[in-house]
Amino acid sequence: MPAADVKPTRSELLEIKKKIKLTKSGYKILKMKRDGLILEFFKILEQAKDIRDKVNHDYEEAMQRIAVSKAVDGAITVQSAAFALKTHPELSLRSKNIMGIVVPEIEANSIRTPMDQRGYGVIGTSVYIDEAAKAFENLVQTIIEAAEIETTMKKLLDEVEKTKRRVNALEFKVIPELQESEAFIRLRLEEMERENTFRLKRVKQKAEAHG
Amino acid sequence: MDIAVLGSDEFVLGFRLGGVKRIYTAKPKDYETKALELIADSSIGVLAIDSSDLELLSPNARRKVTESIAPVVVMVGKAESDLREKVKRAIGVDLYKTN
Repeated sequence: MPAADVKPTRSELLEIKKKIKLTKSGYKILKMKRDGLILEFFKILEQAKDIRDKVNHDYEEAMQRIAVSKAVDGAITVQSAAFALKTHPELSLRSKNIMGIVVPEIEANSIRTPMDQRGYGVIGTSVYIDEAAKAFENLVQTIIEAAEIETTMKKLLDEVEKTKRRVNALEFKVIPELQESEAFIRLRLEEMERENTFRLKRVKQKAEAHG
Repeated sequence: MDIAVLGSDEFVLGFRLGGVKRIYTAKPKDYETKALELIADSSIGVLAIDSSDLELLSPNARRKVTESIAPVVVMVGKAESDLREKVKRAIGVDLYKTN
């Protein structure tokens, strides 16, 4: 609220003082929340970097292995082996709370399938297909781990951004405006008091001159 | 919930071999529609996509895909992760810088 729109009364001054007190305590709490979120963020940053490197490493390895198996067994054999698989990974999502932010905990089962349960014949395929399958199973496992960590990061970063915006709005907009209004009312009241004193003196002077 | 993979035939073949059941392929012109359709599917928990395919998406769809949390979209491949930009924006420092 611009200072000019404020009514220069004592009750308004008290109201603004209360607002400033409340806003300052809210500002302190939000600042603490922002710092806490940044600390949590730093805790998982290293994990996120490591898991990203692992995803890239596992992906490269898996692509190399499948290229070898395609070269040795032929693309059709690899495709038919892939279509023969019967077990598929299933995910279960739970959630945990980090400073009021709900983040997922992803658990997966049946990612790794024993060779004899893969659905394709062991005799008709080479060891390269098994190695490629194993490399992709590892990659799927890493992707699931990355999904959990990266979602937590994204949610934390969103919350940090939101809290930062609120803290800045309070620090640079709300509190200065309230303080400006408080100063305006204070000055206006003082001015009114001086005017009143002057008026009383004039009345007294007039009364004395006539008396 | 399931894990799903979207990409070219070459990209998805290995995932099929790795046991992923929900495999989706799309031609470059249909890629955006398919990606948006998959991120709206509540039965998918994790969606893996090739990071180089992100170029096929319009800026708006790209933002929707990279910021999706349910399902979580994990980018696989050599292209740089979108998280780096997000960290730079939120924290104000490029914490992924190695030097």
